[in-house]
Amino acid sequence: MSELLSLCREVLSEAGEAEAEIYVSLAERGCARFAGGELGQHMQLSEPQAAIRVAHGRQVAETVTSRLDREALVRAVHDTARAARLVPEVEGFPGFAEAGAETGEVPPRYAEATAAATPEERVARLAPALDAIRAAGLVSAGMLETSRASHAVATTRGCARSHDATIASFRVWALETPGAGGAAGYGGHLHRDVRALRVEEEAERAMRTCKASLRPASLDEGTYDVVMEPEAVTELLEWLAMIAFGAPEVEQGTSPVAGRLGERITGEAIDLVEEPGDATDLGFGAPFDREGTPRSRVTLVEKGVARAILYDRTYAARLGAASTGSALLPPGGIGPTSLAMGAGTAASADELLSDVDRGLYVCRLHYVNGLLEPRRAVMTGLTRDGCFLVEKGRIARPVGNMRMTDSFLEGLARCDGMTRARKAVPTWWSDAGAFVAPAIRIRALRFNGRSQEGWQQGGGYTEQVVPGPQSC
Amino acid sequence: MPSSPDAALRATLDWLRRQPSLRYAEVRFVDTLGERLRVRDGRPEQVTAEASRGVGIRVLGEKAWGFACSADTGEAALVAAAGRAVAIARASGAVARAPVSFPEQGASRGTYATKLAIDPFAVPLEDKLAALDAPVRALRAGDARLASAEAWMDWTRQDKRLLSTEGTDVTQSLTFGACGMHVFARGDDGASQRRSYPTWQGGDGFQGGWERVGALDLGAHADRVKDEALALLVAPPCPAGPRTLLLESSQVALQIHESCGHPTELDRVLGSEISLAGGSFLQPHLLGSLRYGSPLVTLVADAMSPGGNGTFGWDDEGVPAGTHPLVDRGLFVDYLSSRETAAALGRASTGTMRADGWNRPPIIRMVNVSLDPGAAGSLEDLVADTDDGVLVATDKSWSIDDLRLNFQFSCEVAWEIRRGKRTRLLRNPFYTGITPRFWGSCDAVCGPDEWRLWGVSTCGKGDPIQSMHVGHGAAPARFRDVTMGSAS
Repeated sequence: MSELLSLCREVLSEAGEAEAEIYVSLAERGCARFAGGELGQHMQLSEPQAAIRVAHGRQVAETVTSRLDREALVRAVHDTARAARLVPEVEGFPGFAEAGAETGEVPPRYAEATAAATPEERVARLAPALDAIRAAGLVSAGMLETSRASHAVATTRGCARSHDATIASFRVWALETPGAGGAAGYGGHLHRDVRALRVEEEAERAMRTCKASLRPASLDEGTYDVVMEPEAVTELLEWLAMIAFGAPEVEQGTSPVAGRLGERITGEAIDLVEEPGDATDLGFGAPFDREGTPRSRVTLVEKGVARAILYDRTYAARLGAASTGSALLPPGGIGPTSLAMGAGTAASADELLSDVDRGLYVCRLHYVNGLLEPRRAVMTGLTRDGCFLVEKGRIARPVGNMRMTDSFLEGLARCDGMTRARKAVPTWWSDAGAFVAPAIRIRALRFNGRSQEGWQQGGGYTEQVVPGPQSC
Repeated sequence: MPSSPDAALRATLDWLRRQPSLRYAEVRFVDTLGERLRVRDGRPEQVTAEASRGVGIRVLGEKAWGFACSADTGEAALVAAAGRAVAIARASGAVARAPVSFPEQGASRGTYATKLAIDPFAVPLEDKLAALDAPVRALRAGDARLASAEAWMDWTRQDKRLLSTEGTDVTQSLTFGACGMHVFARGDDGASQRRSYPTWQGGDGFQGGWERVGALDLGAHADRVKDEALALLVAPPCPAGPRTLLLESSQVALQIHESCGHPTELDRVLGSEISLAGGSFLQPHLLGSLRYGSPLVTLVADAMSPGGNGTFGWDDEGVPAGTHPLVDRGLFVDYLSSRETAAALGRASTGTMRADGWNRPPIIRMVNVSLDPGAAGSLEDLVADTDDGVLVATDKSWSIDDLRLNFQFSCEVAWEIRRGKRTRLLRNPFYTGITPRFWGSCDAVCGPDEWRLWGVSTCGKGDPIQSMHVGHGAAPARFRDVTMGSAS
């Protein structure tokens, strides 16, 4: 039994409350953040957290604390119990999880080399990549992280689970300028084992994209056929995850899935699966949620048809379903942590490009927002770190960053190509794992702005729109 | 204020002083209490108490920084964390090309606390939940199309003490609050419209006590809010095209946040934030020469405004709070900066380094970045002075590029203005533009009576991400020839 799980059980036993739940996690993160070719922020971060809930009947209160010593946790249970007596009932609250079934075979999530990585080892892994980018006359930025985390949950009804995981991640930019815009390229890789991180390859990829992005042309607004790399696709999937698949958003009526289960909501080529048990190198995350419920594999969208949504215990009880193990850590909510888009048949992104007469190749998206019209999943965002004009099936030239505004689901209805290979891309909320996507091709996506229209680097702003060196 | 582990902090600082390779070190104790309350449709959606306590240690070695932290505030644990920070600085320094430039500063000493009348943590929990439950019931009453309503209240108290090898010893106690409500109306076609008060969730922050909740008077606004939500269900979409745009003050606040606050952060400008947020178009060679906005646009970074979400006594590297114009009558004149970044430009820090807790290093954050009030009178005066335009209110979505030039915001509601009067309601409006062109088109800012200090409580920045309280004072303002559209 893990130390954290023992702690959870001891605290519940000593506190003596009849109905209580305690989730404890402890992450130790080594983050080597670099910019301008230097390690400007190299950090060791401790992230202890206990989330305690106590119920009196259907009255429920919660305490979240960073103090993991036994005495503080017992006191927190008692404080939470006092608060629970003061709050109104939660409709449908079914009580905390019981012992229940085992989570099954736990996929590989831990590598000792990552857990034991030292600051010197992180620096040693990074140094050649930083040197290579500098030697290419470019500026580097990014982060190499090695982290380990332990999780445990116990309830007074006998649920007891624990899990250990490691994550090694590398994100790198090769830049024309340190912070003033210009050409940029990105590379990134995520693995549980730091020894498997593709540091040199991803740095090389970032440099390649940056060099190809020099001297961009200015492109008109309009609709374009688009090939997106997995990093761009997952930016949109993150917002879809936030607005679409949680029971609260469905109950509230704001989700594009609300009232449409069993109906076609997007293209026939689209499968979206919450796949927390992925045992390949694409899988990350714990096998149970903060309530102790095993995370289920859930087909959310099958061949474009909305099939299911995600629940925690309370929403499941209220809406007549079973929990899918999708309760998120505080501040809470319900949603996917391991959303995966199905693969296609194309051998590569180049194969997708080969059937584009005139369009765009988008490496990443920036600052996407999906709250414009959530019922239609209307989203806006900008290209970043590589945007290219495609003509007659080939990349013709780099173009300045463009703003996309369109319905993602309606766009996916026009998706007619995906690669066989998929990539895991970390979600920006740190504990939630990674989303998985192929490169995809979408026809006639709407772009309604240019990101630096009228702006001349080094010369400031002019009143007239300034076309790029080669206006398209 | 809870007691800080005084002896352990001092012993750790003494240990750091004895390390021969260190040029500077700081030890920062942070003890945070929080309370998150959310009532939805007559039931408590969240009743959470929060507590976080620990020490962050930042050291500057011969060439590079190191940071480590500990939740255990005993002396042995803190000295061990200090050792880890020193080891990190040494490892990074081994591959550094040049030493970090970090100018010395005199010691800061003193205490600072938020002024408040009623301590929110002393108010009974049941009173707070009742204050949320009543307006939620009012928002749902009277029409079956009022599908869901929610009210929320957040409280945070952050007690912190900063000790440094320069002799700095400052103690601060900051109390933050936020409170608001919204309702969703759902039409027969399944379409949904949200209206909020006082503004969007996350933009309603302040420093102060329970008295601020009473001043908001949620219940008094319930009828208007739900009436507008219902009216939006049948309103026409906002027409597309260039229009004269009027922004109510909370939308001006968010516009400042995204298109002035973030691009004036000097760490972004110098490229330190590429790994999450991006860079900035406001490069140093434009300082003092770029026409950022019209002569009506003066934007000030003020860490001293009473009640501001971005108000404090000292930043997290010991620089006293101050007031610094960023844009003076349209001219770009200064940055939000730290001691290290300001030194890179031969300037002095504007005192904006803050961390969101004990387990993160400080980075440059907005303080209260505010637009000075103008002379256009009240919002209704501004409407009366507009022949043909659109007034929009309450943000719904936000997006801006990695240099902070091209932005696009959608809002909950718009009113068409014809010949000085509000006419029909318009749904799902959005507007988009390029930052200096947009602020250059500002031809009216309402007066001091309309100026209000708003607070963003969840400003995300850094990698790993940090969430920060920042403030923005603003009055309604008018902008010409702005591209608008509808997300419908």
